Amino acid sequence: MNDATLIRKSLFRKKTRAILLVLSIMTAFLIFAVLGAFSRSLNSGVETAAADRLVTLNAINFTLTMPYAYWGRVAQVDGVQAVTHASWFGGYYQEPRNFIQAFSVDMESYLQVYSELEPVEGELATLFERRDCAAIGADLLSQYGWTQGQRIPLNSNIWRKEDGSQVWDLELCVVFDAQDQDVPTNYILLNYDYYNEALAFNRDQIGWLILTTGDPSINDRVSQEIDALFANSPAETETSTEAAFGQAFLEQLGNIGLILTLVIGAAFATILMIVGTTMVMAINERTKEVAVMKTLGFAPPRIFVHVLSESVLLSLVGGLIGLGLAAILLAGVGAMLAGQLPGLRMTWVIAGQAIALMIAFGLVTGLMPAINAMRINIVDGLGKE
Amino acid sequence: MLRQIGAVTMINLRSIPQRWGMSLATVLSVALVVGVLLGFLAMANGFRATVDGTGSDDVAVVIGANSQTELNSGLGRDAVRLIEAGPGIAVDASGDPIISAELYVIANGRKRSSDTDANLPLRGVGENAPSLRNGFSLTEGRMFASGSNELVVGEGVLREFSGFEMGETIRLGSNEWRVVGIFSTGGSVFDSEIWADLGVIQNLYQRTGTVQSVRARLTSPEALAELQAYVENEPRLEADVSSERQFFASTAGGTSNIILFLGWPLAIIMAVGALAGAWNAMYASVDARTREIATLRAIGFAGFPAFVGTMTESLLLASIGGLIGAGITYLVFDGVSASTLGGGFTQIVFSFAVTPAAIVSGVVLALVVGAAGGFFPAIRAARVSILKAQG
Repeated sequence: MNDATLIRKSLFRKKTRAILLVLSIMTAFLIFAVLGAFSRSLNSGVETAAADRLVTLNAINFTLTMPYAYWGRVAQVDGVQAVTHASWFGGYYQEPRNFIQAFSVDMESYLQVYSELEPVEGELATLFERRDCAAIGADLLSQYGWTQGQRIPLNSNIWRKEDGSQVWDLELCVVFDAQDQDVPTNYILLNYDYYNEALAFNRDQIGWLILTTGDPSINDRVSQEIDALFANSPAETETSTEAAFGQAFLEQLGNIGLILTLVIGAAFATILMIVGTTMVMAINERTKEVAVMKTLGFAPPRIFVHVLSESVLLSLVGGLIGLGLAAILLAGVGAMLAGQLPGLRMTWVIAGQAIALMIAFGLVTGLMPAINAMRINIVDGLGKE
Repeated sequence: MLRQIGAVTMINLRSIPQRWGMSLATVLSVALVVGVLLGFLAMANGFRATVDGTGSDDVAVVIGANSQTELNSGLGRDAVRLIEAGPGIAVDASGDPIISAELYVIANGRKRSSDTDANLPLRGVGENAPSLRNGFSLTEGRMFASGSNELVVGEGVLREFSGFEMGETIRLGSNEWRVVGIFSTGGSVFDSEIWADLGVIQNLYQRTGTVQSVRARLTSPEALAELQAYVENEPRLEADVSSERQFFASTAGGTSNIILFLGWPLAIIMAVGALAGAWNAMYASVDARTREIATLRAIGFAGFPAFVGTMTESLLLASIGGLIGAGITYLVFDGVSASTLGGGFTQIVFSFAVTPAAIVSGVVLALVVGAAGGFFPAIRAARVSILKAQG
């Protein structure tokens, strides 16, 4: 009988207790992995932001527009490599609750600035030429069961056409995706010209400008120059990095990150207490047995390692089951929510963190009992019932 | 029998201090579970109270047809005039209809908690706006003067955003504004808004002549149908009419649902973890007292009192945990101010509310954990063999 067998045997000696402990540890890591994936998905816009990409918005608020002419003027600013514009479309499909992120953009310059987006189906030439052509992100395509080449009527809950309707008829000409799975592709791009010419109001206005500088160190200077350009005009601007804008937008939802951290913390504190006290108790029950092992010649360090391995093993068994459940759960939910929360899935980073936590968790809960076991005096231990 | 139950229960409870480690772990883990659940419920309830508290049955809201929200609605001068002439609208002392045409735009405010910008609703209103909000009162200062760059600010805005104190100057775009008053509507959504003169806002935002919504005081809640029929049959008017209560109920359900749908599943998953803990603690408790229980059986106690004794211990531990969790949540969270994006794409400021109903839910959850965790160990206690007394 080697040490590994011994550890396994003593761990599962009391089956009910072992199963219950595995169950509690499982819940802790299930919560950890699922909430971790949610938080990562929410932050994906911030994390995948390019360091040299800036966003110029209306200084009063980003929901207000600015004149189309700003596009050309920003392009002249020294240090601006490429610049494009986008406008919030407020899209939905058939019913307002089928909310769809859609932007009206200048296709050519947009794909130039967002160089990580790659067309995977369809012809770019058609997209640039035909005004009713739209580009759709791969994440969104599957959610509604659409296919490339299909025509869809896209409603806007903001913009009305001159003829009073709020429906734009689009053909999905190009499907785009990004190599990095974390880059969200859960939106539709439609041609600005097609949208602008039909508008009932707010014509020749754009929502915001996106530009690249090629070098993050000149970001500050470029931002200041752009904002100075439009100071004291009716539409003053505010330029910030893409990441800063994404972060500021997330802040609007309230402190989600903090809430998630608190919940994960509470779950772990609960489980740590349960498992820790149970381990102490389990070792206490085995005082006599440990004394016998010492009599047989097991050295204290070996007993210490035994007990510690027992708790780490317990933590890994429970944790890995929880992680597996989380992966299954996320795979299901992730496909359903691809349009709203892109990239909701188990990643190696989360799995790695979870496994590191499992080991740490096993060490923390096992340390006290292991020290106790190591210190058991043979004479006292054998005397105990 | 009853005396037996009482005796065994007392023995169980009195021996808790001997097993304080497991018992404390159970109490604390149940407390944490209840705390997390109540935290989410407090958030959802607070948000809902703010939104529900906003709706009034005798105020009609008219927005452009198919607009759903004020933000993307548009009504011209003629439309406003036609609505004014509609039936069922109350009149003031001088015989004018009590209506308020309003323009709702979004401005940036700086959040105190994160020091980042967030969307604030800036509402251009006329002089009737206060009388169309139940419970409106100026808590400081005065109303803005017509045609001036003056603002009055809701209490919620003052609480969550910096720079809106009385007398402060705020720059929005190329214009400077001065805060001349603070108002309260008793915790409704309007407390998250900033108000200024309609005409000035129309100019600043280049929306001269258009408004987004018209609010009208109805002669009675029943007059709504009359006004709705009128608007529907008026071909020159493309608009939707609803009561203010319906209007807010339809725009703001989503956020509190998200909070609820996240809170309950989390609490239940965590409860499974806590359940395992309680179960273990009770098994340990029965194990530790096996000989004691067997001895009791030997001297004539039945199995049922042992069952009840163990169940009582489990329920007591769980309910103490539940109460501690509820108590801490109440002390920490009740009344905490927060804000989030609401249906109109702007911040809604609300206060966490730990309601009695939520506390009941929390304690019930704790008792369920206690009952489930104690059940099997209690059966085991009832079945302890008399022979064990010798072992």
